Amino acid sequence: MSLGQSQSLPAGSRMPRNLALIAAAAVFVAVWASVPLLASRGTVDLLVFTALYSIAGVGVAFLLGQCGIISLAQSVFYGIGAYATAYGTTALGWHWVPSLFAGMAVAGTVAFLIGWPILRLSGHFLALATLALATIGHVLFLEWDWITGGTLGVGGIARISLFGFVLNTPQRFYYFVWIVAGLVFWLYANLLKSRAGFAMRAMRDAPSAAMVLGVDVHRLKVQVFVMSAVVGSLAGSLFASYVTFVSVDSFGIDRAVSFLLVAVVGGAQTILGSVFGAAFITLAPNLLSKLGDIHALVYAGVLVLAVIFLPQGIGGFLRDRVRGLLNGSGRAGR
Amino acid sequence: MTTTLFIQSLLAGVTNGCVYGLIGLGLSVIYRGSRVVNAMQGDFSLVAGIIAYLAMERLGAPILIAFLGGMVAGAIVGWIVELLFVRPTRKRGGTEESFLLVTLGGAFAVSAAALLFFGRDSHPVRGLGGNELLDVFDAAIRVHAVWLIVLSLAVVVALRFFYTRTFIGKSIMAASIDADGATTIGINVPLMRSLTFLLGGAVGGVAGVLVSPLITIHYEMGLLLTLKGFTAAIIGTLGNPFGAIVGGLMLGLVEALAIVFVSSGYKDVISMTFLILIMIAIPNGILGHRGRAGG
Amino acid sequence: MIRTKISRRTVLMGTAGVTALGALHAPAIAQQGGEPIKIGAVLCLTGPGAGLGQAERSAMQLAEKMVNEAGGVNGRPIRVLIEDDGSKPDIAKSKAEALIFNEKVPLMIGSSLTASTGAIAALTNGEKMAQVALTGLGPAIELTYKSLYHVLPPQPLNARAMLEYTKAQNFKKIGVLHDSGYGQLVYNSLREQAAAYGVSFAAVEKFEVGAQDVSTQAAKVRAAQPEAVYVIATSPVPFRGARQVRITQPIISAIGSSPYDYVRGMGEYADDIVFPEFLVGEDPEPHQKAFVDMYKAAYNSLPKNYEAAGWDALQIAVNALKKAGPTDREAIAQAMREPYRGVMASYNFAAPDLTGIELSSFVFSKLVKTQFTRLPFKVTARS
Repeated sequence: MSLGQSQSLPAGSRMPRNLALIAAAAVFVAVWASVPLLASRGTVDLLVFTALYSIAGVGVAFLLGQCGIISLAQSVFYGIGAYATAYGTTALGWHWVPSLFAGMAVAGTVAFLIGWPILRLSGHFLALATLALATIGHVLFLEWDWITGGTLGVGGIARISLFGFVLNTPQRFYYFVWIVAGLVFWLYANLLKSRAGFAMRAMRDAPSAAMVLGVDVHRLKVQVFVMSAVVGSLAGSLFASYVTFVSVDSFGIDRAVSFLLVAVVGGAQTILGSVFGAAFITLAPNLLSKLGDIHALVYAGVLVLAVIFLPQGIGGFLRDRVRGLLNGSGRAGR
Repeated sequence: MTTTLFIQSLLAGVTNGCVYGLIGLGLSVIYRGSRVVNAMQGDFSLVAGIIAYLAMERLGAPILIAFLGGMVAGAIVGWIVELLFVRPTRKRGGTEESFLLVTLGGAFAVSAAALLFFGRDSHPVRGLGGNELLDVFDAAIRVHAVWLIVLSLAVVVALRFFYTRTFIGKSIMAASIDADGATTIGINVPLMRSLTFLLGGAVGGVAGVLVSPLITIHYEMGLLLTLKGFTAAIIGTLGNPFGAIVGGLMLGLVEALAIVFVSSGYKDVISMTFLILIMIAIPNGILGHRGRAGG
Repeated sequence: MIRTKISRRTVLMGTAGVTALGALHAPAIAQQGGEPIKIGAVLCLTGPGAGLGQAERSAMQLAEKMVNEAGGVNGRPIRVLIEDDGSKPDIAKSKAEALIFNEKVPLMIGSSLTASTGAIAALTNGEKMAQVALTGLGPAIELTYKSLYHVLPPQPLNARAMLEYTKAQNFKKIGVLHDSGYGQLVYNSLREQAAAYGVSFAAVEKFEVGAQDVSTQAAKVRAAQPEAVYVIATSPVPFRGARQVRITQPIISAIGSSPYDYVRGMGEYADDIVFPEFLVGEDPEPHQKAFVDMYKAAYNSLPKNYEAAGWDALQIAVNALKKAGPTDREAIAQAMREPYRGVMASYNFAAPDLTGIELSSFVFSKLVKTQFTRLPFKVTARS
């Protein structure tokens, strides 16, 4: 749990580098905080969606990057969170907080019950099993319309209010959702540096060695899967509170695929990569739609180019560049 | 439940099973030769269906020529995909997921292009034997569906022959199993990979021209077909063409019987649950010992 | 947004130039020096709803041109900013956000699908601004919204139109084949009201949206031996499937299945299918004829319900702008609350459901050997 300690750096260069990092962080926070004041409301709205998708996406990315698990089931957990908030705040009249936690609890439980058996599968079997889950989830969201409203959806979902301050504009929501996203990233970054993180990398790179070392591979996979489901549900709940309307169209296979896109385009090996991945799937279609009817075609082309030219994702690309800069000319990237 | 209904559901199950199997077959061919899970397989079929439709309706081509044209179009698209998408990804050290996503991007592109240039209509395509129906104990099956079943099996047999008896087929396998070793004995590995996609595209094309008379062509059909084909291919062990047809038939029959005996609303829930249970029952599958060999 | 700005500037520059030249061309814009009044529209132009959205767009663009040629709104031209939501509610919300707060449009039109409409409505309701939805009434919450007007009938009304025809034909035992999206909505309403019409359902089978084979479901419906079959889906597949397992009974469908996109996909199976709808392009009602001719002249194809709905939506917006001026959003929303005789139907936006379409607005068409014919059958005033 030693986030921020740079063990590998030589002692002599630590001071100026740390100062530079602090300065960079300060600039970053200043820019981050002033965006809603300067950008148009439409842009801020897209940045809110970027945060939502990066929260759900980082769960998928971590599964993929650290455990080598392709999950196409995140749309289900995203949906569980959204419907928990929708049903909790409208039909049951709950406050948004218990609704959100109820969603996370349900998503975690479902992930545990399903993950326990299916995470014994490997490779394409596992990818297909998660795809099957996404299909089942989508059908159940449609069929159980007493909870989900089916195709019609549920409207009038309560907005988030903090001590009487209602988050009813994209600008207000922006600060809240990015702080939540930051917390989630911090959590994952710590996990990455913990003993469990090492065990996971061992499990990914040398499964048999990990087994010999006494790592309970299956148990670890289930834990990461449950965690991924819980953050997926968190993102879904926040989504429902933000838009105040949910319908089954938001939780189909295409949503599951887009979360996988967040992970791969962003770069599954890096935590912050999912921010870039989420920005890509949110902003690119929006910018391109100015091109008229051809926009869907161009988006697909851009996606293909992004995957081809950035095999480590945007996050991996930037990480390598930043490392190159920090380490100067004499040292290799990794 | 009447006998007619039962027979009708079996017929539907077998027909759909062959459709899923044909798509899965193409996926298997490509996976076998290149270790790429090709998310565009259904879109090869979409392109082939469109070409066959245009050849028949705009040029007045006879049905067999149009079908042949569709197959060739599928093969060409497959080849282009290898050249433009897969090869550069491989060169830049793409992971197994990159291949999946690069072809997924290709699938989005084909679908978007179909909407843009071919329109939003669903187009009915003429089939072998037109719309004639055959009578099976009061249940009905399209003559074309019978052709589809027969030809699917023929494609499986032909592929089996190709891989075991022909030089090119053996070379493709060698290039896929051990690229370096294959190079040393003089096999042109990049060419073999191109051929793999050409072949996969052609199988996708055959699937497309055979499927479209049953389901009409529509710009969104590609990914739906791919999903079912992927399922079929994996149940039947990815990379094993014969398995894809078996997997497809299993999926098709489970779906059909779920509708008859349980409820049509829960069809997908039942078939997908069944699928998960099967995979758990054989946790490592026949693929298991190889696992994520590609990555 | 970039494109909008450029084109606005181009329009203004063009205006100056044309005025100088004596205003022979582009009379609409040339007559007025005013900046265009922007109208926001979010439609499903790609994705599963593209069949609806593209039809609506073509009519809205035609209407925009006609309104401007006729002098615009109180001397100012209008400019419809049409955005694509890709048939996804989340994108619809973002697009609406940009139109409402960046472009500051005084009112919104759209979207083509219920979910997208609901996502936009959460915004327009908060702003108390008018939204003309190209859908029927969605979730119950929409009844509490005061400025969300629908130009398509609510599903209970679609269901009643189907049941009225069924009753007139004396069918009592019906089989239903529907998809899990649109079809489910209509079926839910059918189920609630069937008893009142003496209709019972012998078999009800559903399939997923985009299903490519429904023959087993159709066989189950056939096995129940109904007198007529309801097929309700946004796809031609179930119509073909029903006929291919030899369901020979008359098929009664719903407005959502009527676009030409689907009918062409049915091929030779487009026969003996009845639709309760609003506009039969081949044989329009007298008050629809001018629109049909205009549309035909512009696009060389026949319009149908969704084109008519797009046309009406824009005309309703223009009417309100003429009355309430282009800036006061609440006043515009208020100005819409009145009866309006549209091309598609006669609306009464002061009605509790903010639609006010009567059963008597429905026309009934029948597909006979791939051709639409208008039936003489009409539902007369309710007893």
